[in-house]
Amino acid sequence: MIQVLAFYLFATLVIASAVFVIMSRNPVHSVLWLIVAFFNAAGLMVLVGAEFIAMLLVIVYVGAVAVLFLFVVMMLDIDFAELRAGFIRNFPLGIAIALVLVAELVLGIGAERAGALKLGTPDGTAAPLMDRSNIEAIGALLYSRYLFLFESAGIILLVAMIGAIVLTHRERSDTRRQNISKQVKRRPDEATINVKPEVGKGVQL
Amino acid sequence: MIGIEHYVVVSSILFVLGVLGIFLNRKNVIVILMAIELILLAVNINLVAFSAFLNDLTGQIFAMFVLTVAAGEAAIGLAILVIYFRDRGSIAVDDVNRMKG
Amino acid sequence: MVDLSQYLPILIFLAIAQGLSAAFVFLPIGVAYLTGAHKPDAEKLSEYECGFPAFEDPRSQFDVRFYLVAILFIIFDLEAAFLFPWAVSLDVTGWPGWITMMIFLAELVIGFAYAWKKGALEWE
Repeated sequence: MIQVLAFYLFATLVIASAVFVIMSRNPVHSVLWLIVAFFNAAGLMVLVGAEFIAMLLVIVYVGAVAVLFLFVVMMLDIDFAELRAGFIRNFPLGIAIALVLVAELVLGIGAERAGALKLGTPDGTAAPLMDRSNIEAIGALLYSRYLFLFESAGIILLVAMIGAIVLTHRERSDTRRQNISKQVKRRPDEATINVKPEVGKGVQL
Repeated sequence: MIGIEHYVVVSSILFVLGVLGIFLNRKNVIVILMAIELILLAVNINLVAFSAFLNDLTGQIFAMFVLTVAAGEAAIGLAILVIYFRDRGSIAVDDVNRMKG
Repeated sequence: MVDLSQYLPILIFLAIAQGLSAAFVFLPIGVAYLTGAHKPDAEKLSEYECGFPAFEDPRSQFDVRFYLVAILFIIFDLEAAFLFPWAVSLDVTGWPGWITMMIFLAELVIGFAYAWKKGALEWE
């Protein structure tokens, strides 16, 4: 019973916040609603026993991606009213395409309900692999059978990192950087000069 | 009792909302990127739900990879956005056809 | 469906955190409202600033350099997330799993070295 209630709570909230993401006037509000949507989607995933993915969703999306979006929204000084000019004009087209997609999805779900497919457990309990918890089972599968996919995920991360640095990093010539190795290498005899100026004369540096 | 149909319906609604968001905010790239994140979230919900109801963990592993690719996509997309804004002083994607012959 | 009673501690934690943060926000307001004298006039309500109205867009621009830091944070966040299932399942996966993770870490160390070399981690 509590599961049914929790499912409807999370599902309603995730859909409502998705509506606010695409409808809100201010992109800052959009980002905040996106965070709410991700939280509730994580709740939905907890309900079917995918604890690790739910945790990952909260850590990666709420902790990192949403913050990145927030950074960009705050960084760029944009006239947002001007950007919304096409909102009304694009509305009929957007609704039409959404309707077509909804119709296709309803058809697909109807076909599924007609009984062509047989799904596994009807109560949706993810049977733990090898009698272990969700995260251990995921690890056991990810680092044995999907090992090469995991390595290519690492390559994707590397490419994303290098790409972001290449795209956004600029060398600044007007700032003076600290060169630690140069500082450490400096010896006292090249840093100081011992002079004995005569009385009444200055020191030539 | 909550079945797979409920999850499929939620994720399909989310998917359609994402597509609708792309079409509604055609000028604002930031919201378009957020709508793409919504679409990927719908895909993830679908993968996880089917993985749980079919008793097969592969879906959850692929959800992890989708998450990775989504993070990379957001990073690179926003980097392109930042340098575009640095160049033009606006992020209206209607003007991106400047390279058109 | 999953047995939700094991998430009860998290729920209690969230409720207490919510209650505490609400108390921190609303208690000073309430105390100030109850104890302070509330006699506004035009001079008190006008903003205290040297000659210009204090109302402007609350969105102040950030520096773009924050963006690179955020990107690097995302990448290493995901890397750490991949470490969790590896750590708890190492007895099952054994040496192949260990070698896989070392290659993965080496890939990201290459990225880290690149970021360091380019000066993306330096501020000024």
